[in-house]
Amino acid sequence: MFSFFSPTNIFDWIGKLISFINSIFFILLLVALSFALIFSPPDYLQGDSVRIMYVHVPSAWIGLASFTCIALLSIANFIFKTKNLIIITKSIAPLGLMFTCLAIVTGSLWGQPTWGTWWAWDARLTSMVILALFYTGYIVSHKLNLNEERANKISSLIAIIGSINIPIIKFSVDWWNTLHQPASIKLTGTSTIHSSMLMPLLLMFFVMFLYCALIFLMKYKTEIIRMKKKNLKRL
Amino acid sequence: MIQNFLYMDGYGLFVWASFSITLVSCAIVFYKTQKTLKKYEREFAKEINELSVEKRKSVVKNSKIASQVLSVHSKTF
Repeated sequence: MFSFFSPTNIFDWIGKLISFINSIFFILLLVALSFALIFSPPDYLQGDSVRIMYVHVPSAWIGLASFTCIALLSIANFIFKTKNLIIITKSIAPLGLMFTCLAIVTGSLWGQPTWGTWWAWDARLTSMVILALFYTGYIVSHKLNLNEERANKISSLIAIIGSINIPIIKFSVDWWNTLHQPASIKLTGTSTIHSSMLMPLLLMFFVMFLYCALIFLMKYKTEIIRMKKKNLKRL
Repeated sequence: MIQNFLYMDGYGLFVWASFSITLVSCAIVFYKTQKTLKKYEREFAKEINELSVEKRKSVVKNSKIASQVLSVHSKTF
């Protein structure tokens, strides 16, 4: 299965996918932004500040999902020792860090008009900062001039240890008294968000997801070429 | 009407700042990633071109990736 998804086999598809996403991305972004900024209604309590949700929530989701992906792939790498998995996780990590930081910054911008403060050391906010630190540790371990195998081991360990933080972030609003509100969207059970806000939110999430796919594919392609370039020098 | 849209009942600064920071960060990362990819592709193609004819032929024959990158960037050289 791993050989089917080897860089050589999928390299051609990566280029085609990048072109396809590029061709539809800007139209979808415009539609999503129109819904988020114009067509969606203001909240009865928070007014127009609720529009920050359309960038804050998808950013947080992507930050969490990316780290979960990295942790799972790191476990798989410990078992199967596949270089391709390392290339994938290395390509996901910078995106995850960026979106985690964006979630923190936009959350702070939402906190000021809603809570009256830019920052509070409450459980959800602090655990998100810890996630950003784990991302930084993961990326730095690859950037340091370590032996490649050692760097992979250290980064995988960071990802696996950091995965403990994921359920803490998710359930922090239930386990502790926090300024942050509990989840409005539930996979199991009834969501407490109106469809007029849920639809633009999901649309923004889809557009951000497409953006992530685009950047991931470009980074992945870069890593493959970098690897091939290294092999060429050995000739 | 446009003023109301920008002002957003006093929340405009926070909303526009959030969207701007997100869009600008995404644009910078996109630009940098694309630039790095192009740079590596160019360098890789250049290195293949600098190989001896025999070595180049064997690289292109044995590596799909090398032949693809070379076909895209062959016009540059």
